[in-house]
Amino acid sequence: MSGPLGTADVAALLYREALLLDRLDFDPWLALYTPDCLFWMPAWRDDGTQTEDPDRELSLIYYRGRRNLEDRVQRIRSGFSVASAVMPRAAHMVGNVLSEPVDEATVRAESSFIVHVQDVRSNRAHAYFGRYEHELVRREDGWKISRKVIRLMNDVVPTMLDIYGV
Amino acid sequence: MKPFILRDLVDDRPEDGVFRVNRALFRDPALFELEMKHVFEGGWVFVGMATQAERPHDYFTSFIGRVPIIVSRDEEGVLRCLVNVCPHKGVRLVQKLCGNARRHVCPYHSWTFDSTGANKNIKWQKSGCYAAGFDEENHDLASVARFGEYRGFLFASLNPDVPSLEDHLGETRKLIDLVVDKSPEGVELVPGRVVFTYAANWKMQLENCSDQYHFTSTHPSYIRILDQRAREKVDEVVQSSIGAADFWQEDASGVTGGTMSFDHGHVLNWGVMPVSAALPEFEHADALAQRHGVAKRNWMFNMRNLTIFPNLQLADNASSQMRVIRPLGAGLTEMQTWCIAPRGESAQARAFRIRQYEDFFNPTGMATPDDTVCYEEAQLGMAEQERPWLQGHARGLTASVEGGNDYADMIELKPARSVLADAQLCDESLFGSYYRAWAQRMAEVLA
Repeated sequence: MSGPLGTADVAALLYREALLLDRLDFDPWLALYTPDCLFWMPAWRDDGTQTEDPDRELSLIYYRGRRNLEDRVQRIRSGFSVASAVMPRAAHMVGNVLSEPVDEATVRAESSFIVHVQDVRSNRAHAYFGRYEHELVRREDGWKISRKVIRLMNDVVPTMLDIYGV
Repeated sequence: MKPFILRDLVDDRPEDGVFRVNRALFRDPALFELEMKHVFEGGWVFVGMATQAERPHDYFTSFIGRVPIIVSRDEEGVLRCLVNVCPHKGVRLVQKLCGNARRHVCPYHSWTFDSTGANKNIKWQKSGCYAAGFDEENHDLASVARFGEYRGFLFASLNPDVPSLEDHLGETRKLIDLVVDKSPEGVELVPGRVVFTYAANWKMQLENCSDQYHFTSTHPSYIRILDQRAREKVDEVVQSSIGAADFWQEDASGVTGGTMSFDHGHVLNWGVMPVSAALPEFEHADALAQRHGVAKRNWMFNMRNLTIFPNLQLADNASSQMRVIRPLGAGLTEMQTWCIAPRGESAQARAFRIRQYEDFFNPTGMATPDDTVCYEEAQLGMAEQERPWLQGHARGLTASVEGGNDYADMIELKPARSVLADAQLCDESLFGSYYRAWAQRMAEVLA
């Protein structure tokens, strides 16, 4: 694909990411990210503001480098994590996609998400919701996610929340 | 008549080598109501850090048991702990988590209070046709009966009839010193509070913090990642402190740590950690030894999980965490958690501390979810059944001695009891201290 990515193409990539997470199909999900990607879910500083400087403030998740996401996937698959023994089921809804090209090879996108997670072990369902900020970059093998910020609105986590739940 | 009989709930017979806890303690809703009144609203509890309200008129809100409170600093810098409830109609006065305000106006009928809690205005009071009895009443915010600070840690009690805070904390003040003295500027909470709930009793969290036995069983998925990171030493992966220590490794030899119990239900479990670059404190290792002596410096590097009964936990292990336990029901607990860090540490050390914290402590990380899921599975097992007694408070009973040991002596620490352990002992006898303090606070309702 040449030229900047249009909003429809951006949305298609976000939907694809959501589908892969719903299917717990982690290898192609990881392949959507650049090796030096940023994966960041800030915490809340107080009632109304989120943390902004991940090196001086706490995040819920902060990784620079896909290798860290691979560690997360490895733990989920390890068979040694009771929190991942009975896998929750997730359904992502991504909408309100807005995108803006930065240059020929970079696009930024904002979107809204709701992820319904059924915790099969305890038969409890919870909906996580918030906004995504994606940065997509063109690489030789297609467009990749170089940066994803997850702004989680309902940040009081019932028991646990893993990478497939947001 | 008292509603419960202590020996039906806690089977504490040291002469027979028995310490057992009844499952009812984790499950019974009537007992839970009494715990809220007598444990959380009947004695000292932790309410927050002085740094959460640092400037004049700064405040933060919280709860003591079920009672909303506000901790407010006045114009002169005096901190107060007030009941966050307008005396008029009982409405919670301040809704925000924290902020700065000279005046607090009740959202319902505009009664107004200053940062000392004094009533400054009752709307249309003169035209209110109040009887004399009303004017004789105190219209200020109620003060929480007891409020005290130890080195920035704030404690309060709704019950006036409690020992002094100094007595309550006792020897654990030296353990708080180990946290605060890491920097001449003291400690602070890293911005960003993480809150989670779990569907189990609050005592599951109380115990888990001091439970060395679970680590290699509950967290093998995390331990494998630590091992892998240590082997590969890839720059981009989160580095680990705990991976560099061996107090939890089953083949470690000699004394690897132990436990200490203190009066009033406070406990410590600890493990030897080398003074090494695996900890963010290493940048000041020499300065800390000069300022505090080598022994105290070395203790600052040891793994330490301290519980100040009933609701504060300070964990110095993979990173440094402050946890506040807030029970919401017999089977529902809220955890408020912060990264607590020495002020003035380098940007590099701070980032290192935060990265490890997120990976290990967060409910979105790689360790805590395996704990909280176990708490919930335990809660299922707390159902009433023919064999009511748990078998989880028995390890270490024959290793527990009165007083301290050589390691405690290094920092002149005088625990009530202690256990020196190899990597596989994993003392559970320290939990006894929790339940004895629990029974003391519940004495009014336990026959």
